[in-house]
Amino acid sequence: MAAITIENVGKTYAGGVPAVQGIDLNIRDGEFVVLVGPSGCGKSTLLRMIAGLEEITEGTVRIGDRVVNRLEPAERDIAMVFQNYALYPHMTVRQNLSYGLKNRGTPRDEIVRRVDEAARILEIGAYLDRKPRALSGGQRQRVAMGRAIVREPSAFLFDEPLSNLDAKLRVTMRGEIRTLQRRLGTTSVYVTHDQLEAMTMADRLVVLRQGRIEQVGTPLDVYRNPVSTFVAQFIGSPSMNLMSGTVRAGEVRVADAVYPAPGVPDGAVTVGLRPEDFALVPGGARAGMPARLVNIEELGSQRLGYFRVGGETVVASFPAGQVLSTEMTLYPDLSRLHLFGADERRIDPAPLRAGAV
Amino acid sequence: MVENHRWLDVLAHLTLILGVVIVAFPVYIAVVASTHEPADFVSGLIPLLPGDNAVATYASVLEGGVSSQMSVPILTMLKNSLIMAVLIAVGKIVISVLSAYAIVYFRFPFRQLAFWMIFVTLMLPVEVRIVPTFQVVADLGMLNSYAGLTIPLIASATATFLFRQVFLTIPDELMEAARIDGAGPMKFFRDILLPLSRTNIAALFVILFIYGWNQYLWPILITTDAGFYTIVAGIKRMADVVDSEPLWNYIMATAVLAMLPPVIVVIAMQRLFVKGLVETEK
Ligand SMILES: Nc1ncnc2c1ncn2[C@@H]1O[C@H](COP(=O)(O)OP(=O)(O)OP(=O)(O)O)[C@@H](O)[C@H]1O
Ligand SMILES: [Mg+2]
Repeated sequence: MAAITIENVGKTYAGGVPAVQGIDLNIRDGEFVVLVGPSGCGKSTLLRMIAGLEEITEGTVRIGDRVVNRLEPAERDIAMVFQNYALYPHMTVRQNLSYGLKNRGTPRDEIVRRVDEAARILEIGAYLDRKPRALSGGQRQRVAMGRAIVREPSAFLFDEPLSNLDAKLRVTMRGEIRTLQRRLGTTSVYVTHDQLEAMTMADRLVVLRQGRIEQVGTPLDVYRNPVSTFVAQFIGSPSMNLMSGTVRAGEVRVADAVYPAPGVPDGAVTVGLRPEDFALVPGGARAGMPARLVNIEELGSQRLGYFRVGGETVVASFPAGQVLSTEMTLYPDLSRLHLFGADERRIDPAPLRAGAV
Repeated sequence: MVENHRWLDVLAHLTLILGVVIVAFPVYIAVVASTHEPADFVSGLIPLLPGDNAVATYASVLEGGVSSQMSVPILTMLKNSLIMAVLIAVGKIVISVLSAYAIVYFRFPFRQLAFWMIFVTLMLPVEVRIVPTFQVVADLGMLNSYAGLTIPLIASATATFLFRQVFLTIPDELMEAARIDGAGPMKFFRDILLPLSRTNIAALFVILFIYGWNQYLWPILITTDAGFYTIVAGIKRMADVVDSEPLWNYIMATAVLAMLPPVIVVIAMQRLFVKGLVETEK
């Protein structure tokens, strides 16, 4: 068990393209950190630099109190779970689990003890003598987990370990991985491009964009206070509605409605509203946006209405039984209104947030 | 099967049988010839049915009793061939598996150059470079030795490429998992790569054993000492008599015996061999 400290880390691949730049991140002991971002943003690269599979071009990575930049993966006291599991096809499950321990010179009875323990925790005892070929995807996934936990490492590294599983199994496994990690208390770094997986599993989220950290925070913090339109759209499903608006004299005008925006400099802004932050009845001093219903999606537990609002498409979610008609007025929850400047960065008009609750 | 007509089945079988007959007929003639008196074969009429001289012929061939035409006992020649074929097959496999490993898994200076040099040697089979090769081997004093028989034939671009292809199908993550599991380069090679290429090695061994066994030109060139004659070259020497008729029954008996070891190797390794050729799952 150990903290992972990443200082100003960067990676430039041969050819001079920087894949990852200026990453600063402190991962606390026992924490479950999820790296999330769109394809090609450098998640795997960062993870593989922590693992030692990719050379670190600049900066330092510390695991515990050791700088590991120059250490071989095996010396870093980490275990990794790969997307395609990377089990040794010619070895039985038992051999797969023991191989790393054997290389490390662990005594035989200790190996047996740890393998049996892992098999019990993961319920893979029945297939210990099978080869990976004779296992289903979910079972292979467990074996891959097993190979990581028998090592009793100070950190687990996961690179999209669930993306080869079907949707249902994915949900089960993400719960299991999280439960297991809590029980073992092992520091974990988990890479995924699936924002839902990221939200549900993370103690802390790290949103990456084009090789840089865009935002770090707890899932709810990132969800409620996205620092940019990029994060706002990436986290949450359906994603946040972004509408163009203009600020003049402390008020923002968007889709023919005017809301207070005290202290915000005049100019063009982007107004963000999450689908669940609309109501159909006015509350307090809210102004409404005239909206025309164009489509309805039923999700069972709720229904999504797609509206045309002032020339833009807006999604709003409602309880399952909500009646929707063609012409209606949407009343946004002003305490949940997000403003982003021309640079796509969040603008926080503090008085507005305080006064609107 | 796309079609399933009876006459198509028959046609397919006829074609196959015809093929087998064409391939097997010379072998059959050789076997038949080895069971007749030497004179029967030269009389102009080739006998098509086995004669009754089999036991006598094979007994004297194996005892080396046909001294007039066989200066070397057949068992010595078989032994030489066996040593040569095994050394060539094992040597080729060892060298090519190691060079493929280097090319696929290591980033060393001039890696591309090494790759292309190996590739270029593909275009130069032994026969093309036989004169300079002979010169080198002679200068090194390797005439009439097992080293001379095998070393010039061992380097193998083809086998290197085969292993390169095999290694390229093995996912990188396997190597990375092994690195995390604390396996260094040699351990990874021994514990992961070799077992995964097992069937390919077996298939290659069969092919290369036969290649080595059937070497003809090279052994004839570099062996003058009868103690290093190989069986295939020996057959040629048996037929090369000046002062009398070749003893065809003995020659054919020797040929039949010369066929046996490759057949045994093929049969013994058949299962692995077929698996190595058809298996794709990695
Ligand atoms: N070996 C390499 N050589 C050169 N460039 C690379 C190499 N590996 C990755 N890159 C580049 O680095 C960037 C980050 O890649 P990385 O694999 O970390 O993305 P990722 O966030 O894991 O994406 P995905 O979700 O698709 O796995 C990409 O632009 C990619 O093209
Ligand atoms: Mg990736």
